[in-house]
Amino acid sequence: MDPQSVTQTTAALAGAAVAATSAASTAAGTVAAVSGATPAVVHTGFSLFMDGLYYFVMVPMVYLAILILAAGIVIKIASIVSAPPPPYSLKTYPARRRPILAAMGDTFGMPVIRKKDPLFWLFLMWFHAGLILLAIGHLDLFPAVNIMDPASRHMVGAGAVGVSVTVPAFYFLLRRFKGQNRHISVPADYLLLLLLIFLFLLGDMISWGNSWTANGFVMTKADFKQYFGILAAFSFADPRTVLQGSHYHFVVLHVFLAELFMMILPFSKIVHTFFSLPLNALRRR
Amino acid sequence: MDIPTTMHLKRLFETRLNKAMRLYLDTCARCGLCVDACHVYASMPETKYTPVGRAEVIRKLFKRYFKLQGKFAPWLGETIPFDDIGLDKSYEAAFSCTGCRRCVMHCPFGIDTQQIMGIAKLLLIGVERQPQLLEMLSDMSIAKGQTYLESGENFREALRNLEPEVEALAPTPPGRPTLPIGLEGADIMSVGLSGKHSIIPAAAVMNAAKENWTLSYFEAVNFGAWLGDGTKQQKITQRIVDEAERLGVKEVVVVECGTATRVMKFQSGRHSFKVLSIVELIARYLDQKRIRLLPDTIPGTLTYHDPCQLARNSGVIEEPRRIIAALTRNFVELTPTREDNWCCGGGGGLISLGEEAFRMKSSKVKADQVKAAKAGMICTACENCHTQLSELNTHYGLDMEVQSLTNLVARALARDGAA
Repeated sequence: MDPQSVTQTTAALAGAAVAATSAASTAAGTVAAVSGATPAVVHTGFSLFMDGLYYFVMVPMVYLAILILAAGIVIKIASIVSAPPPPYSLKTYPARRRPILAAMGDTFGMPVIRKKDPLFWLFLMWFHAGLILLAIGHLDLFPAVNIMDPASRHMVGAGAVGVSVTVPAFYFLLRRFKGQNRHISVPADYLLLLLLIFLFLLGDMISWGNSWTANGFVMTKADFKQYFGILAAFSFADPRTVLQGSHYHFVVLHVFLAELFMMILPFSKIVHTFFSLPLNALRRR
Repeated sequence: MDIPTTMHLKRLFETRLNKAMRLYLDTCARCGLCVDACHVYASMPETKYTPVGRAEVIRKLFKRYFKLQGKFAPWLGETIPFDDIGLDKSYEAAFSCTGCRRCVMHCPFGIDTQQIMGIAKLLLIGVERQPQLLEMLSDMSIAKGQTYLESGENFREALRNLEPEVEALAPTPPGRPTLPIGLEGADIMSVGLSGKHSIIPAAAVMNAAKENWTLSYFEAVNFGAWLGDGTKQQKITQRIVDEAERLGVKEVVVVECGTATRVMKFQSGRHSFKVLSIVELIARYLDQKRIRLLPDTIPGTLTYHDPCQLARNSGVIEEPRRIIAALTRNFVELTPTREDNWCCGGGGGLISLGEEAFRMKSSKVKADQVKAAKAGMICTACENCHTQLSELNTHYGLDMEVQSLTNLVARALARDGAA
């Protein structure tokens, strides 16, 4: 089914549902801002191309990105698991009585960083805690998950989660320009941080808008929940029908950057998410 | 570089891509925390002397030939090819690294630069750009493994000349040879270094403990390990393994050589015997009261340099301190110390290669550390460290005596043997 047909066939069904949901939320008095549900517009020419592109980014590419992420991680882990073991122990001393516990301490507590650069450690802990909350916040957008009250206008953390990842990301970028860090950095290091910063800022715009302004962002949490519902149901409906308003471009860009991040994760240094523990185990066992 | 050579180097590289190496090459976040962990960088602050700077040379080759990024966007990771520049960088990285592994302790992931430098050394061997001196010394060690029986009588004759010096330190137990060699059924086989300074003190200590021991025909030092040639390293080790198994010894004791101890202990596979360093053996004799040391034989304050390969890489950290406690009460620790001690700057084959100007310049931080201890004497338990510290002593005017721990013990042996 081509995007235009999708738009046309789903508009009546989903558009009505959005209006109903938003209206219900407003009636309950819990959502200050509602999406101004407008009738679907049939586009032609460049706008038709953009509609198709936006649809691709918002639906099929999400699945594609998740597929690449999962396959990439599986391939990466398989390449390591299938490689021969090191010919001898790479342990450092003094030996720990419980090496795996020690490796977990190294991984999650980052004592080396705390000792050498406490400020960096503080930002790293803040950042990683923020990432976990960020994941929980997005999980909360699925219809079946209700960590926050579904009627609440706030996402998990009410905007604070965005701060927790954005501020450290800026610190990490600035740190790259300091002393030897500048000389050891490669273009990929800067680009990755810039990708994260733009991704976070776009997310911030949505969450800060909904939590920190009287009128809220043009799209509500209830609207995003419907979008996640489309993705979870594999209905391939056009998200434009539930995410209405002129700020849709920013949402599409946010989703696109998130997809880029997911697709490069297995092939970049972010794989330390998975490999930090086995690496630390190598020096403890 | 022509295609066959490039393919040859790629195949060599691939042989080292074990589980650990794949993790090391994929995971570095370039956080920069390892930078000042290296004594070379701390003394000569240039990017190429940082652990990450060294590892990046190999990582950039890895990305070029083994990652999609190297094919589609090589600029992202600033990848480099197998060309003269890439190999020159590999040489500089590999042979400015002493393999001390201090950076492993300072890396949040524990990335092992010494292992990564093993790839650099292998690539250099692949294009015959390895240090020829280390190559020659390795070959000589291997050749000795094939001809030692013919030259055995000369060695035994030389040992007989050393016996009075051993006797002067500790009497030989009745009915036993002063310097036994090739003795079947011995409990311990001691592996010395070339030179009587490594044989005499160890022999005196074992005789004082009335040990049933024998000396190896071979020297412990493993030039193959410094060269980065795994095959030669194994052949050099195998001479000692074969000898120990033929004699049926229970333990092999490696004298004061950090690398030889680590190679024998952890990198030579499983054997019918146990491997330990002379420091562990002396500490055991003291614990078992098989030897007694005269107190106050050391004038002034003593400090101890933990050899990297013995301390953080082999776990011999407490034993030397137990021995020193029996030698003197005037002991002061270096700062930093134990597993975090600064490398002396002589490891990784640099002493064998000469490289005096580089060694002195790159170890300024070590000289400053030793000077700050304000000790009259520094002792250590590694031949390389001893040589390097002696040269640093002269070069930086540290005005202290440099001693080997085993020698201090041998000089302090009480004549009655057991307490």
